[in-house]
Amino acid sequence: MRLYHFLSDVKQVGKLTKKISNLPDSYIQRAMEQVEWKTPRGYPWYQKRTVGRKKYFFDADRPWSIDFKLRNEIGKHNKPYVLEPVKDWSFFIGDRVEVLVGKDKGKQGFVVEIFEERNWVIVEGLNCKLKKQEAAGKTFHLQEEQPLLVTREISHVDPVDLKPCKTEWRYTESGEKVRVSMRSGRIIPMPKKAEATVDYKAPSLYIDGEKDTPSAEMVKITFEPALKTFEMEIMEEMGIQEDRVPAPSYWY
Amino acid sequence: MALRRIFQLASSLKEIGNHYLKPLQLARPSLVASIHTTSPKLDLSEFFEDKKNWTKDNIQVGRAYNQAELRLKSNSDLHKLWFVLLKEQNMLLTMEHFYKQNHALFPNPERIDKVKISMQNLEEVVRERNRAYWQLEVGESGERPGEERHNQIGLRFFYRKFEHNIPCEAHKKWARHHTHQYRDKEVRRFLLLLNEKRWQEKRRALNRNRRAVRTILRRYPDVDREALAAKYPDVDADHISIQRSKEVRPHKYIPPESS
Repeated sequence: MRLYHFLSDVKQVGKLTKKISNLPDSYIQRAMEQVEWKTPRGYPWYQKRTVGRKKYFFDADRPWSIDFKLRNEIGKHNKPYVLEPVKDWSFFIGDRVEVLVGKDKGKQGFVVEIFEERNWVIVEGLNCKLKKQEAAGKTFHLQEEQPLLVTREISHVDPVDLKPCKTEWRYTESGEKVRVSMRSGRIIPMPKKAEATVDYKAPSLYIDGEKDTPSAEMVKITFEPALKTFEMEIMEEMGIQEDRVPAPSYWY
Repeated sequence: MALRRIFQLASSLKEIGNHYLKPLQLARPSLVASIHTTSPKLDLSEFFEDKKNWTKDNIQVGRAYNQAELRLKSNSDLHKLWFVLLKEQNMLLTMEHFYKQNHALFPNPERIDKVKISMQNLEEVVRERNRAYWQLEVGESGERPGEERHNQIGLRFFYRKFEHNIPCEAHKKWARHHTHQYRDKEVRRFLLLLNEKRWQEKRRALNRNRRAVRTILRRYPDVDREALAAKYPDVDADHISIQRSKEVRPHKYIPPESS
């Protein structure tokens, strides 16, 4: 039993996951929450209580997907995992990284997917595992990339000598936050792919839909300050005149 | 009843088409008709999605309006936008119900949230403007007053006041139904126990965090201590004893250091 906090479950979802999905927090909360029962709200004889899942199991399934829902059904037990805290996340989609473990140790590749809730990163074509699949009576073997831990299994690549390096977040003189190689002091540039979301490759490339407000229209300033409330201005505009003086009232 | 009728109509909309709805067209006053700028549809089909979107799996829309953008707009613009958003919300809720009835997946349900967020932001901007006027002219916020009070079992809650035409002392019925105080002996005992329960919860949370830190330290002895302290600020990682047990082990076998 727990006291239910507003948008409490969505806090477990990573910031990058939310950014890439372009979904509002309230929707993610609505899609992922697993509530067994809830006391009726608005009655003083019921305390605010919600019984449901508190801690969610995160995987490659996105929190708003049906697979996530099935995985986190009430009463279902998932194998617990130990999550190492990461202070400043510094790996983004499109980054060149070097794999430090496994059969592809020493190889370099590009980050294609991030699962921030598990500290996982998927590097294109590296750290693969053969997966058997059957379809239409035939057996296939597929190479499937396995996730790597950002804290100890991959490393950034220094742009100077293309060798693995440790990085740090620093500020430039113009106040920009950048990743800097600790060895050579060179800035590791942010990849273009990092700003892509499901809806666009870059914010400037987004094509307005039918119901979207054009940005030129949105920037236009039509507000003119006047000593009126909202209601007074609308009434004036509609030609509604109200001269009656309200009777004295008491607030309690 | 009216709603059920709309949904019945909606379910037959797919086969019969729009002409079925024509007899139900609403009468419109002539004064308004001369200045209208909205879409010319005047029937119940305004409660439904555009027909070309019916078969789509993905109906992509942009994000919600934020407060900074809405602050640029005049009061009359905001007034119009409110009704655009309200109509959109009505349409989306109707469509959600319609898809549910037909056992189909409603495409992009986050649109409802986006409209709601826009409406919340719009309302906040309007209230902000009104508050400025009231503070300047009257010296009050001009909003519905309220304050924190205690109920009969000693729990705090935020009481939002009501407007009455007679003073509080003369209003016996109100006084009978609103007891914002507690003085019972039983209530004091209840509060004591409640306080104890809350302390227990706090203590358990601290223990849980301590256990979590210990597990992390066992699995990853070289963990970033700063990050650990940031995630668990109430636990001092330096004062946690780690006994390597058989249950929690690193993924790889690490041979013990030979001296």
